Amino acid sequence: MPLLASRRVVFGLAAAVAVSSFALPALAQDPAKLVEETAAQVIDIVKTKTGAARQAAVLQVLQTKFDLPYMGRSALGTHWNQATEEQRTRFLAAVATAEARAYSERFGQYAGQTLTVGKVANRANGVTVVDSRLNQSTGQPIKLEWEVRDGKITDVKVEGVSMVMTRRSDFNSYIQNNGGKVDALIAEMEKRAATQ
Amino acid sequence: MIDGVTKAIAASIRRSMVAVALAGTVLGGCATGDTGAAEVWDPIETPNRFIFSINRAVDIIALRPLAVMYRDLLPERAQTGVRNVLDNLGEPVTAINEVFQGDPSRAATTMARFFVNSTIGLVGIFDVATALGLERTKEDFGKTIGMRAGVEPENGGFYLMLPAIGPSNARDGTGLMMDYLVDPFRILTFNLAVDWDWYQLGRYGMNAIDYRSRTIFALDDLEKNSVDYYAALRSAYTQNRAELIRQKREKTDTKGELERRDSLALAR
Repeated sequence: MPLLASRRVVFGLAAAVAVSSFALPALAQDPAKLVEETAAQVIDIVKTKTGAARQAAVLQVLQTKFDLPYMGRSALGTHWNQATEEQRTRFLAAVATAEARAYSERFGQYAGQTLTVGKVANRANGVTVVDSRLNQSTGQPIKLEWEVRDGKITDVKVEGVSMVMTRRSDFNSYIQNNGGKVDALIAEMEKRAATQ
Repeated sequence: MIDGVTKAIAASIRRSMVAVALAGTVLGGCATGDTGAAEVWDPIETPNRFIFSINRAVDIIALRPLAVMYRDLLPERAQTGVRNVLDNLGEPVTAINEVFQGDPSRAATTMARFFVNSTIGLVGIFDVATALGLERTKEDFGKTIGMRAGVEPENGGFYLMLPAIGPSNARDGTGLMMDYLVDPFRILTFNLAVDWDWYQLGRYGMNAIDYRSRTIFALDDLEKNSVDYYAALRSAYTQNRAELIRQKREKTDTKGELERRDSLALAR
């Protein structure tokens, strides 16, 4: 009798798994894998490329592994709704360039960092949070949290500081102090992308 | 007894935090959209920005160059030694906070660290305690308030830019003052009526340089990659403090949960 019951349980589980895998055909890649892959790619870029080549490679990683339009929209907050289609496109392009530049400069030279992926937690709103630690050759490891949505990374938190949230605060304050217009922000970001 | 006092303090703080939060919603009610936690309550933004510009001028002229020299010229081991001495002087304050956080056993560990490092570790130059398995923690009263107050850890009251010290808020500013008041080393030098001004000055000065030397990379990065440095720093500071408080809360939650399970197991 217990054997039968357990067999039924096994069948039930198997059926459930089968149904769920059919029901979610677009079930994207495992979030932990995605984070590991992204980190490996970035470390490889930092090791082998410098300057403009590095920036281009980082931009490519951002475009393939990150949901840049989603991140840009969150970062703009309420101003996104007021922006025209043309402003949105220009804004997203400027953000992508700014992020690519920031990341390619941030890493400097490779100094033996490695990424260890830890706990993976699913949130109710479809977001998966992947905990990880960036181990450095000297000093304390840095705590990195990745938010993954539909197989793409939507935010990175460094020691609790979210990239998107900080950008949002930064952008909103700039817009507010410049006549409440998104144009001012876009112009400033495009200017920065052109110089330096 | 201590727990009772802490609870009373926590309750009154909670009440005032709620009042602050309520005032915040009333005042900021019309300005908020779906901005959520990204917006830090900053009712005195103009004076804050003014202090910030002075802080930055001092930083550019004096503090940052000193910190860069300290980082690049002093041997790594000397820097570790300096940091250890400063950390060791801060241990009693951490222990006091751990008592207020309701974790006396952790406070005992911190004091054990302090005694081991002050003696065997030669006034704290060498962190022998860590090698002995006594891990280092760093607590402050801002975290203690944040842990006890029943509000979101992102809500630390109004944002406050302190002269020389930098970003803070009502919660952490109060915490800073409390930490200063209970610091045994400060009380000691004050009560002995010895002229230890130079000692105090050296301690706080070295603390500033050491801390700045460790934040050069992060702050340079934030400044370079933001269009409004003040707002970016305000957000990053608030998020980072909230994260530390959240970790504290989660830790006590798990501990409470384990204790609950233990007592259940005993009852069974």
